[in-house]
Amino acid sequence: MSESDAAQSRRAAVREIIARVIGAASAPTATPGAVAPRDGALTCALAIQEVLGYVPQESIREIAAALSVPEAQVSGSLAFYPDIHRKPTGRHHVRVCRGESCMANRAEPVVRALERALAVPLGDTTADGRFTLNGVYCVGNCAVSPTVMVDDCVHGRVTPDSVAALLDQYR
Amino acid sequence: MTTLYLSDDTSSRAAGADRLAAAWHARPDVQLVRTSSRGAFFLEPMVERDLPQGRMAWCHVEPQDLDRILAGDGGTPISAIPFLAQQQRATFANFGVTQPLSLDEYRQQGGWTALERAREMAATAVIDELRTSGLRGRGGAAFPVWQKWETARAVASPVKYVVANADEGDAGTYCDRMILEGEPYRLIEGMLICARAIGATAGAVYCRYEYPAAARRLAEALARAEAAGLLTVGGASFPIDIVRGAGSYVCGEETALLASMEGRRGEVQAKPPYPAVSGLHGAPTVVSNVLTFAMVTTILARGGAWHASLGTDFSRGTVVLQLGGRVKQPGLVEIPFGATLRDALERFGGGMAEGSTFKAVQVGGPLGSLFPEPELDIPICYGAFANRGAILGHGGVVVYDQEADMVELARHFMAFTADESCGKCTPCRIGAVRGHEILTRIQRGDGLLKDLTLLRELGETMQAASLCALGGRAPYPVLTAMEHFPEEFTGRLRPSEAAVGAVKRKP
Repeated sequence: MSESDAAQSRRAAVREIIARVIGAASAPTATPGAVAPRDGALTCALAIQEVLGYVPQESIREIAAALSVPEAQVSGSLAFYPDIHRKPTGRHHVRVCRGESCMANRAEPVVRALERALAVPLGDTTADGRFTLNGVYCVGNCAVSPTVMVDDCVHGRVTPDSVAALLDQYR
Repeated sequence: MTTLYLSDDTSSRAAGADRLAAAWHARPDVQLVRTSSRGAFFLEPMVERDLPQGRMAWCHVEPQDLDRILAGDGGTPISAIPFLAQQQRATFANFGVTQPLSLDEYRQQGGWTALERAREMAATAVIDELRTSGLRGRGGAAFPVWQKWETARAVASPVKYVVANADEGDAGTYCDRMILEGEPYRLIEGMLICARAIGATAGAVYCRYEYPAAARRLAEALARAEAAGLLTVGGASFPIDIVRGAGSYVCGEETALLASMEGRRGEVQAKPPYPAVSGLHGAPTVVSNVLTFAMVTTILARGGAWHASLGTDFSRGTVVLQLGGRVKQPGLVEIPFGATLRDALERFGGGMAEGSTFKAVQVGGPLGSLFPEPELDIPICYGAFANRGAILGHGGVVVYDQEADMVELARHFMAFTADESCGKCTPCRIGAVRGHEILTRIQRGDGLLKDLTLLRELGETMQAASLCALGGRAPYPVLTAMEHFPEEFTGRLRPSEAAVGAVKRKP
């Protein structure tokens, strides 16, 4: 069975990203003794995720091959990190903070309101693929809590009543 | 044309600063300067302007307030805001004043003088200066900074590293984020001073995934410093890289952090060897928290003796508290060590938020102990906290009110540890899961009296036998919740058990 076009182009994208990451680390301009952490599996995976929104399964083999390490090692490393997404995520990533300051400031009703507004529980993606809802453990916005982070944007002093308007900005 | 100042910090933006910037963008009579934040987040979004009587601030500003601000109507002098006026800012002195990426402004405020001084000193003299200062690591472990540097300096190696820990994972803390976003050059300068002292060849900042804006700001600052020829040590180029984490709390522990930087699972390793001897890729590596490096810059600029003149016996200098939870005035507070917790909460926190009565305060993040009201007179210093089995950690202070359910809170802490345990050592990996199970049982009303005993014993085992502070400290918030609010736990036991518990607790 041949790979679908989509899978093929995804694999090509993954290869290209890995080559770019590893290429930057071993560039001839790199100072001897310089930190070369950019050749790590985690850095490769984060770069893939930045472009594709997640780290597709075939990335494991590609990263392992590029780094000359066993696939199990790459797989094991990536499984350790909660922010490496192994499944496609929604176009917008909604992360609601469940750190202590947010909890003290009534974040749980905000969590419930988000689940209701998006009709998915924490950890899931909406049926239309627009939003993925996750919890997060502190984004350092404790003094303006409760906090909801959408993609890279941090929203503060969120209340259950302000959730709908907040999400509308991304619809 | 009127110049207005508006913070570009993540929390200021989260409070609405960008909304103001967008609304006023097209106004030809306004020049908007985006600065770092003063850390008085309860007043954000805050807009400032210079008037003959000094710098004035308008707080909780809405877009339609612009005309009022331009007319000079209603502002408060910055010097008359008690939250700010009562602080003794040193490392955060320029916050709210300068533009984060302006090299000129950083230099005008005395930036790079510490590094220039360090370059004229012998490496051992730089370390002696830190020894005099009494600076202890601000990430949580409070290890004497000079000792770590001296260890790394004394090891002969062609390659040595300086790593800034920007993993700031403790919920309730944000001072590292503020430094990365507000004055990144202060961190860079501290790292260069360290490199000078230990003879390092390269540096890196391990920045958590949850801080995208901080990572971008730092990357831009590094690019500008590099372009200005500032990233050098001993005449050679000193590259500083940014490595991103991916949401793991335990990666704030230095050996886990280094493993993660190498692309591996963020597992803790037994020490020794210490990273200062064998760290990143086996080379001597100084790993310190962002705030620690920023304070090194302050100390080299002002002198170790100045630093040692502040604070208490074994807690020299200033403590950076980050107030959060149900206080009226959440924000960043920098004061000398020694004030009481009560004083900090009242004078800076401004008491409780509307509708809230105090129940407990947690100091030091998710691994920190809970303090009930009668214990608030504890002085804020390492010694007093250690005597109570508590920690200052990274300076996070979260206040809980009457709505906090101590059983739920305790369950949350065990769930957190179970989630974040790296799995390397058994007490933490299994202990946290069992602790979570017991607390879940109590929460749903199925707990037995012996479960409370079991929880205490489990806590003692985790404290004594865990490999790092995650497992070792995880029981503290749980056990202090049980100690100070026992009726919330016994009251949730199976009805027959609760009666036995009540009898047993009588003197």
